[in-house]
Amino acid sequence: MTVSTDSWTEQMRRGGLELAILLAVAPGTRYGLEIIRHLQELTDLVVTEGTIYPILGRLTRDGWLQAEWQASAAHPRKYYRLTSQGRRRLRLMVDEWRTFAAKIDRLVDAADKGATHEPL
Amino acid sequence: MNLSDDGESRIRGYLFMLESSLRTFLKRDVVADAVREVESHIRERVRDTQPMPNERDALNRLLDAIGPPHRLARAYSAELAAGEAVSSGRLWQAARAVFALALNTTEGFAVGVALLCGYLLAASCLLVALAKPIFPDNVGIRWVNGEFRGAGWELFLEPGTVVTHGWWVMAVCAVVGSLLLWLTHRGTRRYLRRVSERRLRAAFGH
Repeated sequence: MTVSTDSWTEQMRRGGLELAILLAVAPGTRYGLEIIRHLQELTDLVVTEGTIYPILGRLTRDGWLQAEWQASAAHPRKYYRLTSQGRRRLRLMVDEWRTFAAKIDRLVDAADKGATHEPL
Repeated sequence: MNLSDDGESRIRGYLFMLESSLRTFLKRDVVADAVREVESHIRERVRDTQPMPNERDALNRLLDAIGPPHRLARAYSAELAAGEAVSSGRLWQAARAVFALALNTTEGFAVGVALLCGYLLAASCLLVALAKPIFPDNVGIRWVNGEFRGAGWELFLEPGTVVTHGWWVMAVCAVVGSLLLWLTHRGTRRYLRRVSERRLRAAFGH
């Protein structure tokens, strides 16, 4: 039971990570570690820090993010920002997310109301 | 935290392993960019870490948080290799992408084995076709005392073997080999495209 629950949580985490990354760069440019810190502050989606970078690479290649190396005092950093295509996609994803979450919430409420034993 | 020479070589070692793993399925410029980005991450984490009596432990913790280089490379392959192969259409890149998928998923493994069979069969046919001009007496349909023994390329013929229809066998092998290669490569690209599209659908729900 624990194993299947862990796997379900893991899949949900993975699915949410891409949306979370896009949301992290939505307000403005951020570099990889900054995105990780932001996500760690607000969520527990980032378990292994390295997994962020391949996703950032794919989102850049697909044209949803634009990446640019900038030299800083200590060492160069690769900054990411949303492209207009990425911003459109993000809006769609947020809409989908809200619709989906609302449907599940309704189901949870219905299950709670109809519960003959203890509520969920 | 300032690193000692040992710490510095530990980081170099990590980056070297990452680079070697990534090179098996990604283009050089993509690999260089990825390694540079991970190095930037490590350097910044090191800079933010308070000096500790045991530098080795601190570095291990830091690198553990990023993940082992081979696992990071696998994540890169899952995210980037399929898309790169679809857009470039290169045989080698497609093969590398399928190999990476075969290591990660059961479906990828099954498809990888099927495609490998296709490529090997195509390569065998083309090899037979190419062998005919070099070994003209060894390619064709083989008969011993009027009994059929096989067709194709046989380097060491048993005594009394008669080889006939060599140029026909060459022509058939060239056509079948090319056709098989084209079909298999088309199948590979179609599969990789499906993998990429499936990922997009999973991300956007349509």
